[in-house]
Amino acid sequence: MQNVIAFIEHKHGTIRRSSLEAATQARTLADQLGGKAHAVVAGPGAAQAAETLKKYPLDQIHVSDEDRFIDGAVDAVESVAKAAGPSLVLVGNTMIGRDVGSRFAARADCGINADVVDFKTDGGEVSCVMPKLGGLVITTCKLTGSDYGVAAIRPNVFTAKETSGAAEIVQIASSGKASTVTVEDEIEEAAAELGVEEASVVVSGGRGMGGPEPFTTILKDLAEAFGGAVGASRAAVDAGWVSHGHQVGQTGKTISPQLYIAVGISGAIQHKVGMRTSETIIAINKDANAPIAEFADLLVAGDAFAIVPELTKLVRDAKAAHA
Amino acid sequence: MLNPFDEYAIEAALQLKEKLNDGSTVTIVSMTPASGKEIVRKALAMGADDAVMLSDDAVAGSDLWGTAVALAATIKAQSPDLVITGTQSTDAISGDLPGMLAEKLGFPGLTYARTLEVADGRVRVQRETETGYMTISAALPAVVSVTKSANEPRYPSLKGIMGAKKKEIKQLAAADIGLTVAVGTGGAKAQLTDLATPPARSKGQVVQAPDPAEGAKAIVQFLKERKFL
Ligand SMILES: Cc1cc2nc3c(=O)[nH]c(=O)nc-3n(C[C@H](O)[C@H](O)[C@H](O)COP(=O)(O)OP(=O)(O)OC[C@H]3O[C@@H](n4cnc5c(N)ncnc54)[C@H](O)[C@@H]3O)c2cc1C
Repeated sequence: MQNVIAFIEHKHGTIRRSSLEAATQARTLADQLGGKAHAVVAGPGAAQAAETLKKYPLDQIHVSDEDRFIDGAVDAVESVAKAAGPSLVLVGNTMIGRDVGSRFAARADCGINADVVDFKTDGGEVSCVMPKLGGLVITTCKLTGSDYGVAAIRPNVFTAKETSGAAEIVQIASSGKASTVTVEDEIEEAAAELGVEEASVVVSGGRGMGGPEPFTTILKDLAEAFGGAVGASRAAVDAGWVSHGHQVGQTGKTISPQLYIAVGISGAIQHKVGMRTSETIIAINKDANAPIAEFADLLVAGDAFAIVPELTKLVRDAKAAHA
Repeated sequence: MLNPFDEYAIEAALQLKEKLNDGSTVTIVSMTPASGKEIVRKALAMGADDAVMLSDDAVAGSDLWGTAVALAATIKAQSPDLVITGTQSTDAISGDLPGMLAEKLGFPGLTYARTLEVADGRVRVQRETETGYMTISAALPAVVSVTKSANEPRYPSLKGIMGAKKKEIKQLAAADIGLTVAVGTGGAKAQLTDLATPPARSKGQVVQAPDPAEGAKAIVQFLKERKFL
Protein backbone atom coordinates (compact mmCIF):
# COMPACT_ATOMS: atom_id res chain seq x y z
CA MET A 1 0.00 0.00 0.00
CA GLN A 2 1.24 3.49 -0.80
CA ASN A 3 -1.62 5.90 -0.59
CA VAL A 4 -3.87 6.72 2.30
CA ILE A 5 -7.51 7.73 1.95
CA ALA A 6 -9.28 9.31 4.90
CA PHE A 7 -13.07 8.99 4.84
CA ILE A 8 -14.52 12.17 6.30
CA GLU A 9 -17.68 11.95 8.38
CA HIS A 10 -19.60 15.18 8.73
CA LYS A 11 -23.03 16.55 9.48
CA HIS A 12 -24.13 19.23 7.04
CA GLY A 13 -20.53 20.24 6.52
CA THR A 14 -19.39 20.11 10.14
CA ILE A 15 -16.65 17.50 10.36
CA ARG A 16 -16.37 15.05 13.22
CA ARG A 17 -13.20 15.35 15.18
CA SER A 18 -12.21 11.72 14.56
CA SER A 19 -12.25 12.44 10.82
CA LEU A 20 -9.86 15.37 11.26
CA GLU A 21 -7.65 12.96 13.17
CA ALA A 22 -7.90 10.56 10.23
CA ALA A 23 -7.02 13.34 7.78
CA THR A 24 -3.92 14.28 9.77
CA GLN A 25 -2.87 10.66 10.24
CA ALA A 26 -3.35 10.05 6.51
CA ARG A 27 -0.47 12.45 5.84
CA THR A 28 1.83 10.79 8.39
CA LEU A 29 1.16 7.33 6.97
CA ALA A 30 1.33 8.43 3.33
CA ASP A 31 4.77 9.92 4.00
CA GLN A 32 5.92 6.66 5.56
CA LEU A 33 4.53 4.65 2.66
CA GLY A 34 5.77 7.05 0.00
CA GLY A 35 2.33 7.81 -1.40
CA LYS A 36 -0.36 10.49 -1.43
CA ALA A 37 -2.84 11.54 1.26
CA HIS A 38 -6.44 11.78 0.08
CA ALA A 39 -9.69 12.68 1.81
CA VAL A 40 -13.16 11.68 0.64
CA VAL A 41 -16.23 13.60 1.71
CA ALA A 42 -19.76 12.86 0.51
CA GLY A 43 -23.34 13.96 1.05
CA PRO A 44 -25.10 17.27 1.74
CA GLY A 45 -22.60 19.84 2.98
CA ALA A 46 -19.61 18.05 1.42
CA ALA A 47 -18.35 21.20 -0.31
CA GLN A 48 -18.36 23.12 2.96
CA ALA A 49 -16.52 20.28 4.72
CA ALA A 50 -13.94 20.31 1.93
CA GLU A 51 -13.19 23.97 2.73
CA THR A 52 -12.34 23.00 6.32
CA LEU A 53 -10.22 20.11 5.07
CA LYS A 54 -8.07 22.50 3.06
CA LYS A 55 -6.37 23.44 6.31
CA TYR A 56 -5.15 19.86 6.71
CA PRO A 57 -2.02 18.35 5.16
CA LEU A 58 -3.72 16.48 2.31
CA ASP A 59 -2.82 16.11 -1.36
CA GLN A 60 -6.35 15.78 -2.72
CA ILE A 61 -9.83 16.27 -1.30
CA HIS A 62 -12.49 14.37 -3.24
CA VAL A 63 -16.03 15.69 -3.02
CA SER A 64 -19.19 13.77 -3.85
CA ASP A 65 -22.52 15.60 -3.72
CA GLU A 66 -24.54 12.43 -3.87
CA ASP A 67 -27.06 12.10 -1.09
CA ARG A 68 -27.34 8.33 -0.77
CA PHE A 69 -26.49 7.80 2.90
CA ILE A 70 -23.94 4.99 3.38
CA ASP A 71 -24.18 3.82 -0.26
CA GLY A 72 -23.02 7.19 -1.59
CA ALA A 73 -20.08 7.32 0.81
CA VAL A 74 -18.94 3.78 -0.02
CA ASP A 75 -19.19 4.45 -3.76
CA ALA A 76 -17.13 7.62 -3.34
CA VAL A 77 -14.42 5.87 -1.35
CA GLU A 78 -14.38 3.01 -3.84
CA SER A 79 -13.98 5.28 -6.86
CA VAL A 80 -11.15 7.23 -5.23
CA ALA A 81 -9.42 4.01 -4.12
CA LYS A 82 -9.65 2.53 -7.61
CA ALA A 83 -8.16 5.63 -9.18
CA ALA A 84 -5.44 5.99 -6.52
CA GLY A 85 -4.28 2.38 -6.69
CA PRO A 86 -3.00 0.44 -3.67
CA SER A 87 -4.17 2.28 -0.60
CA LEU A 88 -5.10 2.18 3.03
CA VAL A 89 -8.56 3.56 3.87
CA LEU A 90 -8.87 5.29 7.23
CA VAL A 91 -12.24 5.72 8.88
CA GLY A 92 -13.14 6.79 12.40
CA ASN A 93 -14.20 3.97 14.71
CA THR A 94 -17.73 5.39 14.82
CA MET A 95 -21.09 4.01 13.68
CA ILE A 96 -20.91 5.65 10.25
CA GLY A 97 -17.17 5.14 9.91
CA ARG A 98 -17.52 1.43 10.61
CA ASP A 99 -20.41 1.09 8.16
CA VAL A 100 -18.43 2.74 5.37
CA GLY A 101 -15.15 0.99 6.14
CA SER A 102 -16.62 -2.49 6.41
CA ARG A 103 -18.62 -2.18 3.21
CA PHE A 104 -15.60 -0.94 1.32
CA ALA A 105 -13.55 -3.87 2.68
CA ALA A 106 -16.20 -6.33 1.47
CA ARG A 107 -16.21 -4.77 -1.99
CA ALA A 108 -12.43 -4.58 -2.27
CA ASP A 109 -11.98 -8.04 -0.70
CA CYS A 110 -9.46 -6.62 1.72
CA GLY A 111 -8.72 -6.80 5.40
CA ILE A 112 -10.21 -4.51 8.01
CA ASN A 113 -8.87 -3.67 11.45
CA ALA A 114 -11.12 -1.89 13.91
CA ASP A 115 -10.36 0.25 16.96
CA VAL A 116 -6.81 0.98 15.86
CA VAL A 117 -4.62 2.97 18.27
CA ASP A 118 -1.27 2.80 16.47
CA PHE A 119 0.27 1.90 13.11
CA LYS A 120 3.48 0.22 12.06
CA THR A 121 4.68 0.46 8.49
CA ASP A 122 7.36 -1.63 6.87
CA GLY A 123 8.05 -0.95 3.22
CA GLY A 124 4.55 -0.92 1.75
CA GLU A 125 3.09 -3.03 4.52
CA VAL A 126 0.78 -1.69 7.16
CA SER A 127 0.15 -3.26 10.55
CA CYS A 128 -2.42 -2.00 13.01
CA VAL A 129 -2.15 -2.07 16.78
CA MET A 130 -5.44 -2.70 18.57
CA PRO A 131 -6.31 -3.25 22.21
CA LYS A 132 -8.70 -6.21 22.57
CA LEU A 133 -10.73 -7.55 25.48
CA GLY A 134 -10.96 -4.03 26.80
CA GLY A 135 -7.24 -3.44 26.66
CA LEU A 136 -6.27 -6.64 28.47
CA VAL A 137 -4.26 -7.66 25.41
CA ILE A 138 -2.71 -5.61 22.64
CA THR A 139 -2.83 -7.23 19.20
CA THR A 140 -0.96 -6.32 16.06
CA CYS A 141 -2.56 -7.31 12.74
CA LYS A 142 -0.96 -6.95 9.35
CA LEU A 143 -3.15 -5.99 6.38
CA THR A 144 -2.19 -8.39 3.62
CA GLY A 145 -3.37 -10.32 0.56
CA SER A 146 -4.87 -7.27 -1.18
CA ASP A 147 -3.86 -3.92 -2.66
CA TYR A 148 -6.17 -2.32 -0.14
CA GLY A 149 -6.82 -2.34 3.57
CA VAL A 150 -9.12 -0.57 6.02
CA ALA A 151 -8.34 0.76 9.48
CA ALA A 152 -10.97 2.22 11.81
CA ILE A 153 -9.09 4.50 14.18
CA ARG A 154 -10.13 4.95 17.79
CA PRO A 155 -11.22 8.56 18.31
CA ASN A 156 -9.00 10.75 20.46
CA VAL A 157 -5.82 8.73 20.08
CA PHE A 158 -4.32 10.38 17.00
CA THR A 159 -3.88 14.14 16.89
CA ALA A 160 -5.73 16.43 14.49
CA LYS A 161 -3.45 19.20 13.37
CA GLU A 162 -4.09 22.05 10.99
CA THR A 163 -1.23 23.07 8.75
CA SER A 164 -1.00 25.25 5.72
CA GLY A 165 -2.33 22.55 3.43
CA ALA A 166 -2.40 23.03 -0.32
CA ALA A 167 -4.81 20.27 -1.22
CA GLU A 168 -6.52 20.21 -4.57
CA ILE A 169 -10.31 19.78 -4.52
CA VAL A 170 -11.54 17.16 -6.94
CA GLN A 171 -15.22 16.65 -7.75
CA ILE A 172 -16.38 13.03 -7.97
CA ALA A 173 -18.73 12.49 -10.91
CA SER A 174 -22.25 11.45 -9.97
CA SER A 175 -22.94 7.74 -10.38
CA GLY A 176 -26.61 8.26 -11.20
CA LYS A 177 -27.44 5.28 -8.99
CA ALA A 178 -30.50 5.10 -6.77
CA SER A 179 -30.08 4.54 -3.06
CA THR A 180 -30.89 1.04 -1.78
CA VAL A 181 -31.82 2.52 1.59
CA THR A 182 -34.39 5.30 1.97
CA VAL A 183 -33.89 7.79 4.78
CA GLU A 184 -37.40 8.78 5.90
CA ASP A 185 -36.58 11.07 8.78
CA GLU A 186 -33.93 11.91 11.33
CA ILE A 187 -34.84 12.71 14.91
CA GLU A 188 -32.62 14.41 17.45
CA GLU A 189 -33.53 13.13 20.89
CA ALA A 190 -30.71 14.74 22.75
CA ALA A 191 -29.08 18.04 21.96
CA ALA A 192 -26.14 17.19 19.75
CA GLU A 193 -23.59 16.71 22.48
CA LEU A 194 -20.05 15.47 22.42
CA GLY A 195 -19.99 11.65 22.68
CA VAL A 196 -17.93 9.94 25.36
CA GLU A 197 -15.75 8.31 22.68
CA GLU A 198 -14.63 11.63 21.33
CA ALA A 199 -14.39 13.79 24.41
CA SER A 200 -10.90 14.34 25.76
CA VAL A 201 -12.34 14.64 29.27
CA VAL A 202 -15.09 12.32 30.52
CA VAL A 203 -16.86 12.70 33.86
CA SER A 204 -18.77 9.50 34.66
CA GLY A 205 -21.30 8.82 37.36
CA GLY A 206 -22.24 5.52 38.97
CA ARG A 207 -24.67 4.08 41.45
CA GLY A 208 -23.26 6.43 44.05
CA MET A 209 -25.14 9.24 42.28
CA GLY A 210 -28.38 7.87 43.68
CA GLY A 211 -30.66 9.13 40.90
CA PRO A 212 -30.88 10.83 37.49
CA GLU A 213 -30.50 14.41 38.66
CA PRO A 214 -26.69 14.60 39.12
CA PHE A 215 -26.22 13.55 35.49
CA THR A 216 -27.85 16.77 34.31
CA THR A 217 -26.51 18.96 37.12
CA ILE A 218 -23.27 18.45 39.03
CA LEU A 219 -21.66 15.91 36.67
CA LYS A 220 -22.70 17.84 33.57
CA ASP A 221 -21.41 21.09 35.06
CA LEU A 222 -18.02 19.53 35.79
CA ALA A 223 -17.83 17.96 32.33
CA GLU A 224 -18.73 21.29 30.74
CA ALA A 225 -16.09 23.11 32.74
CA PHE A 226 -13.57 20.91 30.89
CA GLY A 227 -15.45 20.95 27.57
CA GLY A 228 -15.94 17.22 28.09
CA ALA A 229 -18.75 14.67 28.16
CA VAL A 230 -20.77 12.79 30.77
CA GLY A 231 -20.34 9.02 31.01
CA ALA A 232 -21.88 6.41 33.27
CA SER A 233 -21.48 2.96 34.76
CA ARG A 234 -23.91 0.24 33.84
CA ALA A 235 -25.51 0.45 37.27
CA ALA A 236 -26.56 4.04 36.48
CA VAL A 237 -27.73 3.13 32.98
CA ASP A 238 -29.70 0.09 34.14
CA ALA A 239 -31.37 2.22 36.80
CA GLY A 240 -32.60 4.44 33.96
CA TRP A 241 -30.77 7.53 35.20
CA VAL A 242 -28.95 8.13 31.93
CA SER A 243 -29.18 6.64 28.43
CA HIS A 244 -27.12 3.69 27.20
CA GLY A 245 -25.12 5.88 24.82
CA HIS A 246 -23.27 7.15 27.88
CA GLN A 247 -22.30 3.74 29.23
CA VAL A 248 -18.62 2.98 29.57
CA GLY A 249 -17.45 -0.61 29.84
CA GLN A 250 -17.68 -4.10 28.46
CA THR A 251 -21.24 -3.70 27.22
CA GLY A 252 -20.89 0.02 26.59
CA LYS A 253 -18.19 2.16 25.03
CA THR A 254 -14.46 1.60 25.24
CA ILE A 255 -12.84 5.00 25.52
CA SER A 256 -9.39 6.57 25.88
CA PRO A 257 -9.85 10.15 27.00
CA GLN A 258 -6.96 12.16 28.34
CA LEU A 259 -8.76 12.51 31.64
CA TYR A 260 -11.40 10.22 33.14
CA ILE A 261 -13.13 11.23 36.36
CA ALA A 262 -15.16 8.42 37.94
CA VAL A 263 -17.68 9.68 40.47
CA GLY A 264 -19.43 7.17 42.73
CA ILE A 265 -18.19 4.26 40.61
CA SER A 266 -16.65 1.27 42.36
CA GLY A 267 -14.44 0.14 39.48
CA ALA A 268 -15.79 -3.31 38.56
CA ILE A 269 -13.74 -5.17 35.95
CA GLN A 270 -16.52 -4.70 33.36
CA HIS A 271 -16.30 -0.96 33.87
CA LYS A 272 -12.50 -0.95 33.98
CA VAL A 273 -12.14 -2.59 30.57
CA GLY A 274 -13.96 0.36 29.01
CA MET A 275 -11.75 3.09 30.48
CA ARG A 276 -8.44 1.57 31.54
CA THR A 277 -6.65 3.09 28.55
CA SER A 278 -7.54 6.60 29.70
CA GLU A 279 -4.40 8.66 30.11
CA THR A 280 -5.21 9.84 33.62
CA ILE A 281 -7.89 8.44 35.94
CA ILE A 282 -9.28 10.27 38.96
CA ALA A 283 -11.87 8.72 41.27
CA ILE A 284 -14.13 10.47 43.73
CA ASN A 285 -15.54 7.84 46.06
CA LYS A 286 -16.63 7.83 49.66
CA ASP A 287 -14.87 4.50 50.08
CA ALA A 288 -11.06 4.82 50.00
CA ASN A 289 -10.84 1.06 49.48
CA ALA A 290 -13.16 0.81 46.46
CA PRO A 291 -11.59 -1.42 43.76
CA ILE A 292 -11.05 1.63 41.57
CA ALA A 293 -8.30 2.74 43.99
CA GLU A 294 -6.17 -0.06 42.51
CA PHE A 295 -5.97 1.58 39.10
CA ALA A 296 -6.87 5.25 39.54
CA ASP A 297 -4.01 7.73 39.50
CA LEU A 298 -5.74 9.64 42.25
CA LEU A 299 -8.63 8.70 44.51
CA VAL A 300 -10.20 11.37 46.65
CA ALA A 301 -12.16 9.76 49.45
CA GLY A 302 -15.19 11.83 50.34
CA ASP A 303 -18.75 12.75 49.48
CA ALA A 304 -19.13 13.40 45.76
CA PHE A 305 -22.14 15.66 46.25
CA ALA A 306 -20.00 18.10 48.21
CA ILE A 307 -16.70 17.69 46.32
CA VAL A 308 -17.91 17.86 42.70
CA PRO A 309 -19.56 21.33 42.81
CA GLU A 310 -16.53 22.70 44.65
CA LEU A 311 -14.22 21.16 42.06
CA THR A 312 -16.28 22.60 39.19
CA LYS A 313 -15.90 26.06 40.68
CA LEU A 314 -12.12 25.70 41.02
CA VAL A 315 -11.76 24.32 37.48
CA ARG A 316 -13.79 27.23 36.08
CA ASP A 317 -11.63 29.69 38.02
CA ALA A 318 -8.42 28.08 36.79
CA LYS A 319 -9.66 28.10 33.19
CA ALA A 320 -10.77 31.72 33.47
CA ALA A 321 -7.35 32.71 34.85
CA HIS A 322 -5.76 31.25 31.73
CA ALA A 323 -8.17 32.76 29.24
CA MET B 1 -21.86 -19.17 25.33
CA LEU B 2 -24.32 -17.67 22.94
CA ASN B 3 -22.95 -14.25 22.09
CA PRO B 4 -25.27 -11.88 24.01
CA PHE B 5 -25.58 -9.61 20.98
CA ASP B 6 -26.81 -12.54 18.88
CA GLU B 7 -29.60 -13.15 21.37
CA TYR B 8 -31.06 -9.78 20.43
CA ALA B 9 -30.99 -10.82 16.78
CA ILE B 10 -32.73 -14.12 17.52
CA GLU B 11 -35.35 -12.41 19.66
CA ALA B 12 -35.99 -9.84 16.91
CA ALA B 13 -36.46 -12.64 14.38
CA LEU B 14 -38.84 -14.55 16.65
CA GLN B 15 -40.90 -11.46 17.41
CA LEU B 16 -41.17 -10.68 13.73
CA LYS B 17 -42.23 -14.21 12.90
CA GLU B 18 -44.90 -14.11 15.63
CA LYS B 19 -46.17 -10.75 14.45
CA LEU B 20 -46.29 -11.67 10.77
CA ASN B 21 -47.83 -15.05 11.54
CA ASP B 22 -47.81 -15.87 7.83
CA GLY B 23 -45.82 -19.09 7.83
CA SER B 24 -42.47 -17.31 7.91
CA THR B 25 -39.75 -19.35 9.56
CA VAL B 26 -36.59 -18.49 11.47
CA THR B 27 -33.38 -20.26 10.51
CA ILE B 28 -30.24 -19.93 12.63
CA VAL B 29 -27.03 -19.67 10.64
CA SER B 30 -23.83 -20.16 12.55
CA MET B 31 -20.19 -20.52 11.62
CA THR B 32 -18.74 -22.46 14.47
CA PRO B 33 -16.70 -25.59 15.16
CA ALA B 34 -18.78 -28.76 15.67
CA SER B 35 -18.43 -28.18 19.42
CA GLY B 36 -20.66 -25.13 18.99
CA LYS B 37 -23.72 -27.30 18.51
CA GLU B 38 -25.01 -26.64 22.02
CA ILE B 39 -25.02 -22.91 21.31
CA VAL B 40 -27.11 -23.46 18.20
CA ARG B 41 -29.38 -25.76 20.21
CA LYS B 42 -30.04 -22.93 22.65
CA ALA B 43 -31.12 -20.67 19.79
CA LEU B 44 -33.51 -23.41 18.65
CA ALA B 45 -34.80 -23.72 22.21
CA MET B 46 -35.65 -20.00 22.13
CA GLY B 47 -37.99 -20.83 19.25
CA ALA B 48 -36.13 -20.84 15.94
CA ASP B 49 -37.36 -23.42 13.44
CA ASP B 50 -34.15 -24.94 12.16
CA ALA B 51 -30.44 -24.26 11.93
CA VAL B 52 -27.52 -24.42 9.54
CA MET B 53 -24.03 -24.86 10.92
CA LEU B 54 -20.92 -24.22 8.87
CA SER B 55 -18.15 -26.19 10.56
CA ASP B 56 -14.91 -26.78 8.72
CA ASP B 57 -11.21 -26.43 9.43
CA ALA B 58 -11.02 -24.52 6.16
CA VAL B 59 -13.00 -21.63 7.67
CA ALA B 60 -11.51 -21.79 11.17
CA GLY B 61 -9.44 -18.76 12.09
CA SER B 62 -11.08 -16.58 9.43
CA ASP B 63 -10.66 -12.85 9.75
CA LEU B 64 -13.65 -10.54 9.32
CA TRP B 65 -13.41 -10.65 5.55
CA GLY B 66 -13.22 -14.45 5.48
CA THR B 67 -16.08 -14.73 7.94
CA ALA B 68 -18.21 -12.44 5.80
CA VAL B 69 -17.42 -14.41 2.64
CA ALA B 70 -18.17 -17.80 4.21
CA LEU B 71 -21.28 -16.67 6.08
CA ALA B 72 -22.68 -14.86 3.04
CA ALA B 73 -22.30 -18.02 0.96
CA THR B 74 -24.05 -20.05 3.65
CA ILE B 75 -26.85 -17.51 4.02
CA LYS B 76 -27.34 -17.16 0.28
CA ALA B 77 -28.06 -20.87 -0.02
CA GLN B 78 -31.02 -20.39 2.38
CA SER B 79 -32.60 -17.75 0.08
CA PRO B 80 -33.69 -15.59 3.00
CA ASP B 81 -36.09 -12.64 2.84
CA LEU B 82 -34.43 -11.01 5.80
CA VAL B 83 -31.07 -11.53 7.52
CA ILE B 84 -30.87 -10.34 11.13
CA THR B 85 -27.59 -10.07 13.02
CA GLY B 86 -26.45 -8.68 16.34
CA THR B 87 -24.48 -5.48 16.25
CA GLN B 88 -21.22 -6.55 17.73
CA SER B 89 -19.59 -9.55 19.26
CA THR B 90 -18.43 -8.91 22.80
CA ASP B 91 -15.00 -10.42 22.19
CA ALA B 92 -13.81 -8.72 19.03
CA ILE B 93 -15.87 -5.57 19.57
CA SER B 94 -16.54 -5.52 15.89
CA GLY B 95 -19.63 -4.01 14.35
CA ASP B 96 -18.36 -4.66 10.86
CA LEU B 97 -19.89 -7.96 9.89
CA PRO B 98 -23.45 -6.78 9.09
CA GLY B 99 -22.29 -4.26 6.48
CA MET B 100 -19.91 -6.78 4.96
CA LEU B 101 -22.65 -9.40 4.74
CA ALA B 102 -24.92 -6.88 3.05
CA GLU B 103 -22.27 -6.16 0.42
CA LYS B 104 -21.44 -9.81 -0.16
CA LEU B 105 -25.12 -10.74 -0.47
CA GLY B 106 -25.89 -7.71 -2.59
CA PHE B 107 -28.68 -6.76 -0.17
CA PRO B 108 -29.37 -3.33 1.33
CA GLY B 109 -27.88 -3.07 4.82
CA LEU B 110 -29.70 -1.41 7.72
CA THR B 111 -27.45 -1.29 10.75
CA TYR B 112 -27.89 -0.34 14.43
CA ALA B 113 -31.65 -0.94 14.39
CA ARG B 114 -33.57 -0.49 17.63
CA THR B 115 -36.94 -1.28 16.06
CA LEU B 116 -37.86 -3.52 13.16
CA GLU B 117 -41.01 -3.87 11.08
CA VAL B 118 -41.78 -5.59 7.83
CA ALA B 119 -44.69 -4.74 5.55
CA ASP B 120 -45.40 -4.80 1.81
CA GLY B 121 -42.05 -6.27 0.91
CA ARG B 122 -40.10 -3.59 2.78
CA VAL B 123 -38.26 -3.49 6.05
CA ARG B 124 -38.31 -0.32 8.12
CA VAL B 125 -36.12 0.32 11.16
CA GLN B 126 -35.15 3.06 13.55
CA ARG B 127 -31.40 3.30 13.21
CA GLU B 128 -29.71 4.59 16.36
CA THR B 129 -27.50 7.62 15.94
CA GLU B 130 -25.27 9.28 18.50
CA THR B 131 -27.94 11.90 19.16
CA GLY B 132 -31.21 10.13 18.45
CA TYR B 133 -32.38 7.97 15.61
CA MET B 134 -33.28 7.99 11.95
CA THR B 135 -36.00 6.00 10.26
CA ILE B 136 -34.68 4.12 7.25
CA SER B 137 -36.27 1.52 5.01
CA ALA B 138 -35.36 -0.78 2.14
CA ALA B 139 -36.84 -3.43 -0.09
CA LEU B 140 -36.47 -7.08 0.92
CA PRO B 141 -34.29 -9.09 0.91
CA ALA B 142 -32.16 -7.05 3.31
CA VAL B 143 -29.66 -7.33 6.16
CA VAL B 144 -30.58 -5.72 9.47
CA SER B 145 -28.37 -5.54 12.57
CA VAL B 146 -30.19 -4.94 15.84
CA THR B 147 -28.81 -3.28 18.96
CA LYS B 148 -29.38 -4.29 22.54
CA SER B 149 -32.15 -1.72 22.92
CA ALA B 150 -34.21 -3.60 20.32
CA ASN B 151 -35.71 -6.09 22.76
CA GLU B 152 -35.36 -8.24 25.85
CA PRO B 153 -34.27 -11.73 24.72
CA ARG B 154 -36.50 -14.51 26.07
CA TYR B 155 -35.27 -17.47 28.06
CA PRO B 156 -35.89 -20.86 26.48
CA SER B 157 -38.90 -22.54 28.10
CA LEU B 158 -38.77 -26.16 29.20
CA LYS B 159 -41.03 -27.01 26.27
CA GLY B 160 -38.67 -25.11 23.97
CA ILE B 161 -35.66 -26.98 25.27
CA MET B 162 -37.37 -30.35 24.78
CA GLY B 163 -38.60 -29.35 21.32
CA ALA B 164 -35.16 -28.15 20.24
CA LYS B 165 -33.81 -31.67 20.53
CA LYS B 166 -36.00 -32.72 17.61
CA LYS B 167 -35.24 -29.74 15.37
CA GLU B 168 -32.92 -30.12 12.43
CA ILE B 169 -29.38 -28.76 12.53
CA LYS B 170 -28.00 -29.02 9.03
CA GLN B 171 -24.23 -29.48 9.03
CA LEU B 172 -22.34 -27.92 6.16
CA ALA B 173 -18.69 -28.06 5.18
CA ALA B 174 -16.84 -25.49 3.08
CA ALA B 175 -17.30 -27.65 -0.03
CA ASP B 176 -21.10 -27.49 0.37
CA ILE B 177 -21.26 -23.71 0.02
CA GLY B 178 -19.06 -23.48 -3.06
CA LEU B 179 -16.32 -21.25 -1.65
CA THR B 180 -13.99 -20.22 -4.46
CA VAL B 181 -11.53 -18.22 -2.39
CA ALA B 182 -9.32 -19.25 0.49
CA VAL B 183 -10.59 -18.10 3.86
CA GLY B 184 -9.57 -19.36 7.31
CA THR B 185 -6.26 -18.57 8.96
CA GLY B 186 -4.28 -18.95 5.72
CA GLY B 187 -6.54 -16.67 3.68
CA ALA B 188 -6.83 -13.96 6.31
CA LYS B 189 -6.32 -10.45 5.01
CA ALA B 190 -5.83 -9.11 8.50
CA GLN B 191 -3.23 -11.39 10.00
CA LEU B 192 -2.39 -11.47 13.67
CA THR B 193 1.35 -10.96 14.02
CA ASP B 194 1.72 -10.06 17.67
CA LEU B 195 -0.12 -10.40 20.96
CA ALA B 196 1.12 -8.54 24.02
CA THR B 197 -0.06 -7.71 27.51
CA PRO B 198 0.00 -4.01 28.33
CA PRO B 199 1.66 -2.91 31.55
CA ALA B 200 -0.85 -3.00 34.39
CA ARG B 201 -2.00 0.32 35.81
CA SER B 202 -0.56 0.75 39.22
CA LYS B 203 -2.25 2.05 42.33
CA GLY B 204 -2.04 5.82 42.59
CA GLN B 205 -2.46 8.32 45.38
CA VAL B 206 -5.33 8.17 47.83
CA VAL B 207 -6.34 11.40 49.54
CA GLN B 208 -8.80 11.40 52.45
CA ALA B 209 -11.17 14.34 52.13
CA PRO B 210 -13.45 14.72 55.12
CA ASP B 211 -13.50 18.39 54.11
CA PRO B 212 -14.87 18.58 50.54
CA ALA B 213 -13.09 21.85 49.80
CA GLU B 214 -9.78 20.18 50.62
CA GLY B 215 -10.71 17.23 48.37
CA ALA B 216 -11.49 19.54 45.47
CA LYS B 217 -8.22 21.39 46.03
CA ALA B 218 -6.25 18.14 46.01
CA ILE B 219 -7.75 17.30 42.60
CA VAL B 220 -6.99 20.73 41.18
CA GLN B 221 -3.42 20.51 42.46
CA PHE B 222 -3.06 17.11 40.75
CA LEU B 223 -4.58 18.44 37.50
CA LYS B 224 -2.12 21.32 37.53
CA GLU B 225 0.83 18.97 38.00
CA ARG B 226 -0.36 17.00 35.00
CA LYS B 227 -0.90 20.16 32.96
CA PHE B 228 -4.65 19.74 32.62
CA LEU B 229 -5.12 23.17 34.15
C1 LIG C 1 -21.76 -9.24 31.44
C2 LIG C 1 -21.63 -7.97 32.23
C3 LIG C 1 -21.37 -6.80 31.54
C4 LIG C 1 -21.22 -5.60 32.24
N1 LIG C 1 -20.94 -4.46 31.54
C5 LIG C 1 -20.72 -3.32 32.23
C6 LIG C 1 -20.36 -2.12 31.55
O1 LIG C 1 -20.28 -2.06 30.31
N2 LIG C 1 -20.12 -1.02 32.29
C7 LIG C 1 -20.21 -1.00 33.64
O2 LIG C 1 -19.96 0.05 34.25
N3 LIG C 1 -20.57 -2.11 34.31
C8 LIG C 1 -20.84 -3.27 33.63
N4 LIG C 1 -21.22 -4.36 34.33
C9 LIG C 1 -21.61 -4.23 35.74
C10 LIG C 1 -20.45 -4.21 36.72
O3 LIG C 1 -20.16 -5.53 37.11
C11 LIG C 1 -20.84 -3.42 37.99
O4 LIG C 1 -21.99 -3.97 38.54
C12 LIG C 1 -21.08 -1.93 37.73
O5 LIG C 1 -20.02 -1.38 37.00
C13 LIG C 1 -21.23 -1.22 39.04
O6 LIG C 1 -21.55 0.13 38.82
P1 LIG C 1 -21.16 1.23 39.90
O7 LIG C 1 -19.68 1.23 40.09
O8 LIG C 1 -21.78 2.48 39.45
O9 LIG C 1 -21.93 0.75 41.20
P2 LIG C 1 -21.38 0.14 42.55
O10 LIG C 1 -20.48 -0.99 42.33
O11 LIG C 1 -22.57 -0.06 43.40
O12 LIG C 1 -20.50 1.31 43.16
C14 LIG C 1 -21.02 2.52 43.63
C15 LIG C 1 -19.86 3.29 44.26
O13 LIG C 1 -20.30 4.58 44.62
C16 LIG C 1 -19.68 4.94 45.83
N5 LIG C 1 -20.52 5.98 46.45
C17 LIG C 1 -21.77 5.86 46.94
N6 LIG C 1 -22.23 7.05 47.38
C18 LIG C 1 -21.24 7.95 47.17
C19 LIG C 1 -21.10 9.34 47.40
N7 LIG C 1 -22.08 10.07 47.96
N8 LIG C 1 -19.92 9.94 47.06
C20 LIG C 1 -18.92 9.23 46.50
N9 LIG C 1 -19.02 7.91 46.25
C21 LIG C 1 -20.15 7.27 46.58
C22 LIG C 1 -19.58 3.66 46.60
O14 LIG C 1 -18.56 3.71 47.57
C23 LIG C 1 -19.29 2.65 45.50
O15 LIG C 1 -17.89 2.46 45.32
C24 LIG C 1 -21.37 -5.57 33.65
C25 LIG C 1 -21.64 -6.76 34.32
C26 LIG C 1 -21.76 -7.95 33.65
C27 LIG C 1 -22.04 -9.20 34.41
